Amino acid sequence: MRALASTLLLQTTRDRSTSGRRLIIGLFILLAGLFVSACRPDQPADGRVRIVYWEKWTGTEGAAVQEVVDRFNSLQDRIYVEYLAVSQVDRKTIVATAGGDPPDVAGIWAAQVATFADNNALTPLEDFIEADGTSVDEFLSRYMPVYADMCLFDGRVFALPSTPATIALHWNKTLFREAGLDPERPPRTLAELDEYARRLTKRDPDTGEITQIGFLPQEPGWWPWAFFGWFGGSLFDEEGEVSIGSDPHNLTAMEWVRSYTEEYGLDDITRFTSGFGGFASPQFGFFSRRVAMVFQGVWFDNYMSQFSPGLDYGAAPWPEAGGGTTEGPFAIADADILIIPRGTSHPKEAWEFVKYLNSVNPKAETKAELGGMELLCLLQAKNSPMHDWSPYFLRAHPHPYIGVFRELASSPGVVHLPMVGIWQEYDREITTMFDRIRLLDTTPNAGLAYTHTRITGTWNRHRKSMQRQRSAAAKAARKLPGTDRSKPNPSQIE
Amino acid sequence: MTRGEWRNLRIGLGFSSLWIVGLGVFTLYPVAASLFYSFCDYSILQRPVWAGMENFSTMLGDDVFWISLKNTLIFAGFSVPMGLAVSLSLALLLNHEVRGRAVYRTIFYLPSIVPIVASSMLWMWIFNGQYGVLNWVIGPLFRLWGDSPPAWLGDPAWSKPALILMSLWGVGNSTIIYLAGLQDVPKEYYESASIDGASSWQRLRYITIPMISPVIYFNLIMGIIGSLQVFTQVFVMTGGTDGAPARSTLFYALYLFSTAFYDLRMGYASAMAWVLFLLIAGLTWIATRAARRRIHYSG
Amino acid sequence: MRKLSPAGRFAVYTGLGLGTILFAFPLAWMLLTSVKPIEQTMVYPPQWLPVAYTVVWDGEPVEVTRDERIEVPSVLVERTSGNRVGERTLMAVERYDPGDPAYRLICRAEPGSWLVTERTGTLARSKGTRQEVVSDEEIRTRLKFRWDNFPKALETMGGRSLEEVEGSIRPSSAMTRPVTFWTFLGNTTIVCVLGVLGTVLSNALIAYGFARVRWRGRDLFFGLTLATMMIPFPVLMVPLYGVFKSLGWIGTLFPLWVPSFFGSAFNIFLMRQFFRTIPEELSEAARIDGCSEWRIFWRIILPLSRPVLAVAALFHFLYAWNDFLGPLLYLTRKETFTLALALQSYQSQHGGVQWNYLMAASTLTVIPIIILFFFAQKTFIQGIATTGTKG
Repeated sequence: MRALASTLLLQTTRDRSTSGRRLIIGLFILLAGLFVSACRPDQPADGRVRIVYWEKWTGTEGAAVQEVVDRFNSLQDRIYVEYLAVSQVDRKTIVATAGGDPPDVAGIWAAQVATFADNNALTPLEDFIEADGTSVDEFLSRYMPVYADMCLFDGRVFALPSTPATIALHWNKTLFREAGLDPERPPRTLAELDEYARRLTKRDPDTGEITQIGFLPQEPGWWPWAFFGWFGGSLFDEEGEVSIGSDPHNLTAMEWVRSYTEEYGLDDITRFTSGFGGFASPQFGFFSRRVAMVFQGVWFDNYMSQFSPGLDYGAAPWPEAGGGTTEGPFAIADADILIIPRGTSHPKEAWEFVKYLNSVNPKAETKAELGGMELLCLLQAKNSPMHDWSPYFLRAHPHPYIGVFRELASSPGVVHLPMVGIWQEYDREITTMFDRIRLLDTTPNAGLAYTHTRITGTWNRHRKSMQRQRSAAAKAARKLPGTDRSKPNPSQIE
Repeated sequence: MTRGEWRNLRIGLGFSSLWIVGLGVFTLYPVAASLFYSFCDYSILQRPVWAGMENFSTMLGDDVFWISLKNTLIFAGFSVPMGLAVSLSLALLLNHEVRGRAVYRTIFYLPSIVPIVASSMLWMWIFNGQYGVLNWVIGPLFRLWGDSPPAWLGDPAWSKPALILMSLWGVGNSTIIYLAGLQDVPKEYYESASIDGASSWQRLRYITIPMISPVIYFNLIMGIIGSLQVFTQVFVMTGGTDGAPARSTLFYALYLFSTAFYDLRMGYASAMAWVLFLLIAGLTWIATRAARRRIHYSG
Repeated sequence: MRKLSPAGRFAVYTGLGLGTILFAFPLAWMLLTSVKPIEQTMVYPPQWLPVAYTVVWDGEPVEVTRDERIEVPSVLVERTSGNRVGERTLMAVERYDPGDPAYRLICRAEPGSWLVTERTGTLARSKGTRQEVVSDEEIRTRLKFRWDNFPKALETMGGRSLEEVEGSIRPSSAMTRPVTFWTFLGNTTIVCVLGVLGTVLSNALIAYGFARVRWRGRDLFFGLTLATMMIPFPVLMVPLYGVFKSLGWIGTLFPLWVPSFFGSAFNIFLMRQFFRTIPEELSEAARIDGCSEWRIFWRIILPLSRPVLAVAALFHFLYAWNDFLGPLLYLTRKETFTLALALQSYQSQHGGVQWNYLMAASTLTVIPIIILFFFAQKTFIQGIATTGTKG
């Protein structure tokens, strides 16, 4: 045994003394090189401050953002914006912020402002606005009220719009003509909508399968919460309590949804819609001329020219169904918004970019004179959220029905989604309930009651949790001398 | 302690030093911390705030929690036994002197080392309700009954079966383990059994299975632990953490992840994690007790 | 192995054959889909092999896609005015009004003929692509594997839009460092190689302490080590994230490989089992010669442990290559993504799923593993067998 051990030792010593050393040196070099490469990219050599901008758009909408970013980069030489198209940008941003490595500017949706703010993930913008010499009210008065409202949460400005959206009823004029309807006259009331839908629905004479449908509440199914307001119902009552199960109009809305499945047949509808493709494809229901009427946003025209050119369509306000006010029709508005996450390394520069994207030149006569907001909205063929539109914007806008969308956005009856911290859960519950009701899996009554109970529980829990956070923050603030006790400073909660 | 023992202690600790750090930082601290967080409101962007039993009481009343638990148990309840049956059958087939055995073994094993993301994409494509090749193959069977093939991942009733089916494709790993176990069974047992006139079925039941029972037990435990934590396939195939359609594929790990990182409710997620821990420990203990009588250890 | 009866042989071969088809087909299908043009993936019943349709226009052969087979007598018309001037569409003969000034008649379309469009390669049509009605005989069909799907998939995986790659949109600002498949491959390789290094070195060291040195409390400590194997990852997930966040490592690759330098219970167990099989006399003899434990470890035990080190290295490499949850948790910037994460994010990127590119990209993430398998087959099989039977 000893002999064996000695031999082994000797042999390995001979073979491995230099190779062992070489191995270790090689390892060090490898590790050093990898350290360098895994490090974060540094600032470009020209001395500009580099900020990172995450946005959700791809394709032509992404190219539009790129153009605006390029223009900002060329208009000044202090800041360089690096634009990245990121999928699931909201989730990635919250994760990145939680991890301490967020982008400097992120483009998310208005639906998330409240949650992000509640989680202390946003940098408030009022200080930046006031440092520029304007009051917050003045700054926000440039926007149509519905969009200004979406920027506020808890009395503070946490976001500003990048592009707005309004939703309108789109209809296929050719299919109207084929069904014997006046192609220039969209349905104006709920009853007309249902009646037109009936006349626009075609079935195969042999199999009875649906080949074309006039209207389906689930196409595209992105805003089921809108149906409640449309019928005059509500998601929260005046006291701020959940009202989805208590407001009678909500029941009417869901019964209407169910009526479509009952009238056209669940299996028929399922089979029919299973052949639909994604939104950005020619197989989308409306694009493939299989759905005649659909609620869609101002971006729809852009997508139509890509995926179903030649489709003759019109855009109109929402038919009268009980919602809205006497001064203006009901419509819903949404916005893509910009936030500056908490913990970014260059908040001031981030603000400069956000400010640029929210700048408007109301007298612009050429493309070069456009402010950031109108440039982006023009390129993406959307309406502008500002009150005043420049002459060039109106003249050069590619959307044939942009006037309709402007009207809807400025209507007194237009609403946006509730800005509450539990909105994402609320929305999820509503969507699940909507699916179950339209799939005849539950009755409207039962579905609404269930959602009401669940969300009331969530809402109570959330408010209790916020209360706890506030008292903990206040306690922490009290422990430090000389701090302002009137407003709990979020940065001390860290 | 003697001087020699002291010396050995220092040496032993020296060798284990990396593990002491690793265990402390990457295992023990997180275990303790997550236990603490499970009793708090914690969003990682703010300090944890003590909330007592609230996370656990919310869990009891949280329908989505129960749905996720149910989904996971259904999945595990089917995929573990079915996986066991399939991999054992394959191993039994491979346990014969057939030509090209290595080729067959490769074919069965390869899918289990394919990156899960890639295989999830592939099966998503195969299960596609419109253009998927699976529906083309089994369509005629359904049409015999006057029905149409299912929409798989688009249909709440068929989404879990789709995931279970896909899990069967990856049994290669267990197959190899069973094969190794089968090859350890002494041939004399089979020979004397055939001499006594035992049928194949009897040989299987009375010799093979008892002889490989430790291996079956091992695979069972691994299967339970793994299937209760399944995440990647579901995340990729259903496009996120919603468990679409209609939460039919909302599995426990998925709900936990989305609660922690999308809702930023890390206290609640930690509470869920501990419940999972207890569940796994409980099931493992039950399996061990039940198996104790049946496992036959030879030598 | 017992001799099989003819019936037995038949049963076994049938079983193996059936199993082979079921297990091998999906991978073959993945490969087939990767070499098809997008419109030939979205057909039902499935098209097995990719083809190319060509038509002769103006004396030149042009590749087209067959959009629609005309079933009823129709006409091809073109819009004459408005937003969509120049765009063509099919219309049933009964619906067509010759007096309608909005449309200009191009030609009649008889049942059995095809509406074809010049191939652009994307789903979105741009203005000016030619669309005509042609008869069945005019279309020439031939087999064509689209190997260029692979380079295209490589490029779009990094986030460059399809339109950019196809050339219909001008490329974005040149300042940004392009992120491509090779970036992801590089990141994945870094994580895997460093992880393997850490795994092999640290666990060998630690296992040696448990296996070849007798010290007070050793077995208790080992029992604790084994116990930690039971802890499911979700329990550790949130605090671990917090640890990495305080270190400032979120967004970097560090959380994916640094922990492997500090041991893992499973590998400690594996290596300890192996070390215990090496005769104690070897160590004894060396000790008598005056060797320190470290030298015994480095010069004697380690060289003899190549089999178990290979198994541990292989397993960790496989695990790191396939890992999805880790990258999902810790990586935020696309430049740092590994292949698994990049592939998944690629899937959610585009509006309409490009199945052929997706399958091509998936194939590329699978191939390195298959290559590795063929070189290390024996180690694979041996390793798994050991863990299973001795577990």
